[in-house]
Amino acid sequence: MSDGVLHKAMAPLVAPPVFDFWVQKINRTLSWERPLARVVGREVTARGTVTLTLKANRHFRGYAAGQHVPVSVEVDGVRLTRTYSPVTPWQGDRRLAITVREVDGGKVSAALVHALSVGDVVELGPAFGDMVLPDGGASRPWLLVAGGSGITPLMCLARALLAENPSADITLMMWARERADLCFSGTFADLRARHPNLRVLPVLTRESRCLPNELSGRPGAELFAAQVPDIATRAVRACGPWGFVETVSSLLAPIAADFDSECFTPPPRATQAGEAVTVTLLRSERQVQVPAGAPLLESLEEQGVQPAYGCRMGVCNTCVCDKRAGTTEHVYNSEQHAEAGPVRLCVNAARSDITLDL
Amino acid sequence: MKQSKSRPLTREQVDQFGAELDALHTRVRDDLGQHDADYIRRVFAAVRYTEAAGRVLLYCWFLPPLWVLGVLLLGLSKILDNMELGHNVIHGQFDWMNDPYLRGRDWEWDIVATGDNWRETHNFRHHTYTNIKGMDDDIGYGLLRLFPEQRWRPFYLFQPLVAVIFALLFEWGVAIQDLRLGRYFKGKMAPGEMAAAFRPVGRKMRRQMIKDYLVFPLLGGPLFLPILAGNALANIMRSLWTYMIIFCGHFTADVDVFPKSVMNGESRGQWYLRQIRGSSNLRGGKLFHILTGNLSHQIEHHLFPTLPANRYGDIAPEVRAICRRYGVHYNTGSLWLQFGQVIWRILRYSFPSKPVPVNRVRLLAE
Repeated sequence: MSDGVLHKAMAPLVAPPVFDFWVQKINRTLSWERPLARVVGREVTARGTVTLTLKANRHFRGYAAGQHVPVSVEVDGVRLTRTYSPVTPWQGDRRLAITVREVDGGKVSAALVHALSVGDVVELGPAFGDMVLPDGGASRPWLLVAGGSGITPLMCLARALLAENPSADITLMMWARERADLCFSGTFADLRARHPNLRVLPVLTRESRCLPNELSGRPGAELFAAQVPDIATRAVRACGPWGFVETVSSLLAPIAADFDSECFTPPPRATQAGEAVTVTLLRSERQVQVPAGAPLLESLEEQGVQPAYGCRMGVCNTCVCDKRAGTTEHVYNSEQHAEAGPVRLCVNAARSDITLDL
Repeated sequence: MKQSKSRPLTREQVDQFGAELDALHTRVRDDLGQHDADYIRRVFAAVRYTEAAGRVLLYCWFLPPLWVLGVLLLGLSKILDNMELGHNVIHGQFDWMNDPYLRGRDWEWDIVATGDNWRETHNFRHHTYTNIKGMDDDIGYGLLRLFPEQRWRPFYLFQPLVAVIFALLFEWGVAIQDLRLGRYFKGKMAPGEMAAAFRPVGRKMRRQMIKDYLVFPLLGGPLFLPILAGNALANIMRSLWTYMIIFCGHFTADVDVFPKSVMNGESRGQWYLRQIRGSSNLRGGKLFHILTGNLSHQIEHHLFPTLPANRYGDIAPEVRAICRRYGVHYNTGSLWLQFGQVIWRILRYSFPSKPVPVNRVRLLAE
């Protein structure tokens, strides 16, 4: 089941679904080609937040600290995918830990936080993301700025830096609403005991009374000046909601030695019918503008794209195409669909910018 | 010549009729979930277990009843794989699950026909142009005359014999359907073009032949021949069953065929109407429906080919009630009644007959 010579030689003879059916009678994480992982640990790490430890099979290729990994689970029969940042660096034991906070109305986060237990299997995807450490980064001073669950990739960066240089100079400022929302309190206590140059500053925005080691307030110039006077010498990485990262970036990017950030993708903006939206075509490496609300097949053809098609009325499934992101709407019943998955181009219209595997 | 059993409707009535069916479709679509996902995975598991059991029992040549059971189980596995699993998954009925292993566009099945050819001839041509003469190749498969609207030729006198051979080799017939050999023999297709079209088909045929008639028999050593025979019988069993079910879907006595002109400005409601008037159902129990791939609910399948087939039985009473309200004939009967009518068509139309008057195919009231 490795991707070696045997795997390649056998490929024409093997039907992967049949192969997986039988080998998964032995072990549910065995697969011909899919990166599956078993939940081997589950720990509640904050209010409504769990850290899951996963053991991946050999089809998962690992990740660099700071990268993100798509995690798929089946919810009510539908395979749904969300991206999480592992909080520990990838090592030889094929384990990764993800910290998941339940989002209001979030189907996947609810499944991961409540329904999943040790022994269950999830599917992973290839890791991605550019906020990774430069070579030799552990010898310079760092400031890591986290908003809410933006802490997760920064946690991984901090651990990777400390693994490389146990006395690395790291200041980590983590924003949360209340104390109960803070993740990793115990972990940080452990780390600080072993790493004297690690400074962890929780900043709370809605807690009525702060403890001596806690700060309060939103990100601001004075707060940073008071807490990190040597900002000009530090490399900064920030992660959090879009607005948070915008603020931090405007304050620190001009004055820090080095600045990089990532934010959670805002949900695609819903558009009015007729408004132009961008369709990103992954295979043909193109972007085209089409009117929202108009059947995609026709709109794409007008832009010179020629998808396969048949009936043009939603019957034959010939024009089905994988949507990777964005909201589409069925033209007959106006139902909107924001999850990734197959869509029939002839009877679906874009309702936001979308990405297609075409 | 008899009239269609459906009464002509006004354009407004046809639109309302279509809207009612659209609403039914949306309601079922919104209700899909774990139950349906579990169902199709159970069918997949049933195919795997019956295949494994059947193949193992074929090695029990020395205990003939077990060998016979092996043939039956392997045949059953191929029938399930063909009908309730393959046919339905290939339609994209389970695409909503977003499971890479249950995607219509990528599915391949245990039959000599390629999934790609099937997607073209069946999903697209047959389901879009259902029962339109000259568009839907399933009308007689270019081999049989089943409707008076098809022009008679002396070749059709041999039709009863041709039909039997076609039934025994049905999976091969389906495999070459998309090649349109008729066009090739008439010189309308260059040899190079035909060779290119045949390549994937040939590859699939070779794969199936090697699997069923070489690898598994060789694994039996001295039992090579009994195992080869068992595989052949299982394949024939599947061909006969699928032929019978599929023919009952569109070639019973009361189904209509249509001229190409029906497509001019055909509304959604008219399209639905044509699907119903061109299809016929089979009555039976739960197991029977599963073995037919729920094509016993041919009418529901043709209305909603992308809805999971395990739902057709649930919505059939509602479809029937809608049809009753609009005076649309809902064609259903037992397998023997419906197949009897198919046999009658095969025999009757091997002889010359006059085409029907136009009003039989009229969809709209004037």
